[in-house]
Amino acid sequence: MSPNVTLSFDSLSRVDASARFGFGSCPQYLTSISGPIEVRLAAEQPSQATIEVHVRPLTNVPGTESKTVAVILKEAIQMEVIVEANPRTLIQFVVQALVPTPKVTDELVAAMINCCTLSLLNAGSIPMRGVICAVSVARVSSVNGEESMYKIQPVEEHPSRIQATGCFAFLFSDSYSSNTYSSSCVWTSWRSLHPGSLKAVEESELARARDAAQKPAREVWERMKSLVEEGERVKRKETWIKDASHSTEAKKMDVGEEDVNMEI
Amino acid sequence: MASVLPSSSTNPSASSVNSFLSAAEREAIKAATFQRLHPRIYLERFLEEKIRPDGRPTAENIEDPNAWRNVEVNVGSITTAPGSALVRIGKTTVVCGIKAEICEPELDNPDEGFLVPNVDLPALCSPKFKPGPPTEEAQVLSERLNEVLGNGMLSLSSLCICSGKSAWVLYVDATVINYDGNVFDATLLAMVCALKNVSLPHADFDPELHRTVCTRSETDPSKPARKLAIQEDLVPLAFSFGVFAGSHLLPDPTASEETLLDTYISVILDAHAQVLSVSQLGAGVDNYEALDQGVNNLPSSREADTLARCISLAKKRQAVLIKKVYNTST
Repeated sequence: MSPNVTLSFDSLSRVDASARFGFGSCPQYLTSISGPIEVRLAAEQPSQATIEVHVRPLTNVPGTESKTVAVILKEAIQMEVIVEANPRTLIQFVVQALVPTPKVTDELVAAMINCCTLSLLNAGSIPMRGVICAVSVARVSSVNGEESMYKIQPVEEHPSRIQATGCFAFLFSDSYSSNTYSSSCVWTSWRSLHPGSLKAVEESELARARDAAQKPAREVWERMKSLVEEGERVKRKETWIKDASHSTEAKKMDVGEEDVNMEI
Repeated sequence: MASVLPSSSTNPSASSVNSFLSAAEREAIKAATFQRLHPRIYLERFLEEKIRPDGRPTAENIEDPNAWRNVEVNVGSITTAPGSALVRIGKTTVVCGIKAEICEPELDNPDEGFLVPNVDLPALCSPKFKPGPPTEEAQVLSERLNEVLGNGMLSLSSLCICSGKSAWVLYVDATVINYDGNVFDATLLAMVCALKNVSLPHADFDPELHRTVCTRSETDPSKPARKLAIQEDLVPLAFSFGVFAGSHLLPDPTASEETLLDTYISVILDAHAQVLSVSQLGAGVDNYEALDQGVNNLPSSREADTLARCISLAKKRQAVLIKKVYNTST
């Protein structure tokens, strides 16, 4: 159940960092981040940075739906960014949709959260306590209607078989031992699509859905890490080639090993 | 920590004012000052004693119905509107009025009417709102309520008068009169009660004249007013919780507690106590220590615990509340 994601760092020139993310084969959102920058007096906070998120759909002006999602994103980002490190500053996110979004589904919200995280990683100027990755999960009944399974990214499934959908966001953070990375769920949203039926949501379901979402979220995180490593490897290689051309006796540096041991 | 509050005997400027007040009033002023200056420590001190600032028990005594504030519902008080309701949860007061108008249905959905919920948070309900365009909070509330009410409780095709030509549009307007936390629950309850209270006049579409004629039930008894076709099974009720400092679960938070919470949990149940939707923003209870320990499996079970606890608390509360809501709104 490995999620099919498209992710890349972008190169918008007037902001501090930008990134694209999408579930599937094309990016769904482009996020830019500027920060820490000057904040207007009304929004200034004396002991922590202010976080502003603007969500823009592909068509039309942002409405109440965009506002609601922006509030969710702001809360999620507040959990991964160490806001006490830069008081009286502003960290501004702009999330631009690249595909038409008539209704903001759980999958799109998950893509937005991942896109914001990716742009934070690209910026490097904002201290973070962890990385938040999100996936959407749906409970789908099997063809004969007896069993139900938990699937991620269920866009290809028949809509009538989807009984409930939800989104889970996990905060991945390094612990004392480098092998285990603890993860905690920082955002849950789950709703049943066929209310009134016997297949409504129960408490145990949530735990199972969350367990189903944990591994794919970790895989999204691994993809993000490998994207950062790739970027660093290209940069180091370019520096090495420049040095080699300047000095006559170039010592060969083993660049590959350093990247693998680099902690993110 | 030594007492941070000055005693009146050592403070000469205070003594002249305090001579008119009783000892109890002096204590109340000291406590209110402390709350203004150090809101977080104020709440922490209360929670250490297993009680909340408004006197309710914390969720340690989970079975206690007093963990929730008192709910009062009054329907039909606005005579100029087809449907109305006034709801009070503790001090949070919301009044909801429903206006019905006629319009043409959309081309894509010729058999459906419209339901337009809106929440207004005017400056009179709380000092944190200023006059002007709707704040972010009002917009988020309106959108969340739109999502919940659009879940199938009211069949939009029952609002159609003539397919493709004429349909009812219901403007559900809620105004918060006093903001003391948990506005979402109060507003949802007000909107649901007002919808159940709505009485639509009989409407006929005249195809030759291209207009809709409504008849009052008094003038023509053969064309009575009708109530909305609401599916009783799907009537939603919302229950909000907050988590303070990662260790205290607070059901139904007040305005002063709301600003200090780090996790918000909202559970929406239908009439049969089945969960319609659940959302948790923030880590659950007892989560911060888990991050320090770096244990892999523990955090997920703790979050599941918090949500499961909230759902069962909500179900218990719903059993108590549903009778009250149904009795007053038919």
